[in-house]
Amino acid sequence: MPHPLHVPRVNNNDDQVTIVEVAVKEGDFVKRGQIVGAVETDKAVLEVEAERDGYVLKILGRLKEQAAVGSVLLWLGEKADDKVPTEVGGARAPVASQARGRPTAGARARLKELGLRAEEIPAAGERLTEKDIEAWLANQERSVAKTQDVAPPAEQRERAPDVAGEFQDLSPEEHGMMTTVLWHRDQAAAGYIEIEYDPRPWEDHAKRYADANRLLMSPLMPLMAFRLVEIAASTPRINCAIVDKRRYQYGPVNLGFTVQAGQMLYLTVVRGASQLDATRFIETMGDIQRRAMAHKLAPNEMSGATIAFTSMARWNVSRHVPILPPQTGLIVAHSAPRGSGKAVLGASYDHRLLSGFEVVQVLQALAQPPKPSSGEKA
Amino acid sequence: MTLDRDAIKVAIRAQVIKLANALGMDASEIGDDDIIPATGFLDSTAILELVVWYEQTYELPLRQDEINIDNLGSINAMTEFLLARKAAATARTA
Repeated sequence: MPHPLHVPRVNNNDDQVTIVEVAVKEGDFVKRGQIVGAVETDKAVLEVEAERDGYVLKILGRLKEQAAVGSVLLWLGEKADDKVPTEVGGARAPVASQARGRPTAGARARLKELGLRAEEIPAAGERLTEKDIEAWLANQERSVAKTQDVAPPAEQRERAPDVAGEFQDLSPEEHGMMTTVLWHRDQAAAGYIEIEYDPRPWEDHAKRYADANRLLMSPLMPLMAFRLVEIAASTPRINCAIVDKRRYQYGPVNLGFTVQAGQMLYLTVVRGASQLDATRFIETMGDIQRRAMAHKLAPNEMSGATIAFTSMARWNVSRHVPILPPQTGLIVAHSAPRGSGKAVLGASYDHRLLSGFEVVQVLQALAQPPKPSSGEKA
Repeated sequence: MTLDRDAIKVAIRAQVIKLANALGMDASEIGDDDIIPATGFLDSTAILELVVWYEQTYELPLRQDEINIDNLGSINAMTEFLLARKAAATARTA
């Protein structure tokens, strides 16, 4: 399938740019991020990058010519013999010619009013007239409108740094992290609240549990995560997300839990967590954590979190403001600076969904281990 | 892979020391019978990393209920558990 590569906008004021470099030829195979040419205005030069891998099917832009922003510079195809759509592919970028004679007095006044130069506007006759300017303006409006319809806004594309380097594809996990961070930034109205608490009751509770069950690893974090699951099950408002400006009340409680595996950070998910007792929950989480460490997670173990828990206590941080996973309303972060005698529970939350007061209540409940009757062996 | 008792202990000890190093701890004095979680050299995540390394190095997939202090709590326990499991597997295929 052929894909157009459009002439980018260099700045907000210039709807026409000059093609100053065409670095590829038809039939070439280009990689995403590869420089295929460059355009300039009198203010700046901008390199044009391929937005995808592909074969150069047809080059419409011509060196030294002016081209309208948003017009097709060239076509890329997944296969070398992809056909360029004839209804649009053959249409060259609108190219401006230069006025050949002096502007009329009326045209000069209009140019001054608009802050334009006569050289930018083609004249129908020997001299540039007000009619030529109005026709050119109308064409520009159509061109801009078309650009907005068919091309991604060039201003949103980031320029390559002016330092030697190369583009590399993100791994699926890195792409997932980017998606998460962008969801937090663009979709949620994230707030953050934290409380300090005395960690000793939880530590004592975890030790009793570990001794009773002959556990190899401290169950402190899994037990705290399970407590959050219990709170979410009894307080459904925190097990929600805002989706399309409406509250989406989740049925199951799917607990997201971060696992650092080498350089990789996974948000693993225990699905249906509220249907498990503490023992089964800890076993399930341990099993998922182990496979995360071995990079052998199933897709459904990395998606579908409805609420989340994370800890950076091992890194001895004092504060950790977590990123909300997509379509969750609450993630709780645990920190426990060594030697401080205190621990911190922080929460990032979607303020469209939850008030600070509600979040504080969750954190205060979570700061206390459950009563012995909550189904654990300890 | 040769399953020599002493070689297994050396390898497990080296891995414990390596993981402890990553946390800024020196575990070079750890004893073969020391209970690893109780030494404080490794936190829960590092112990999990040790278990994953153990499974992969010795091709010994573990059930979650086998990951306990009795089977894997010390260098000696990990060594004996490995030898016992491998011997049982050999007996089954013989």
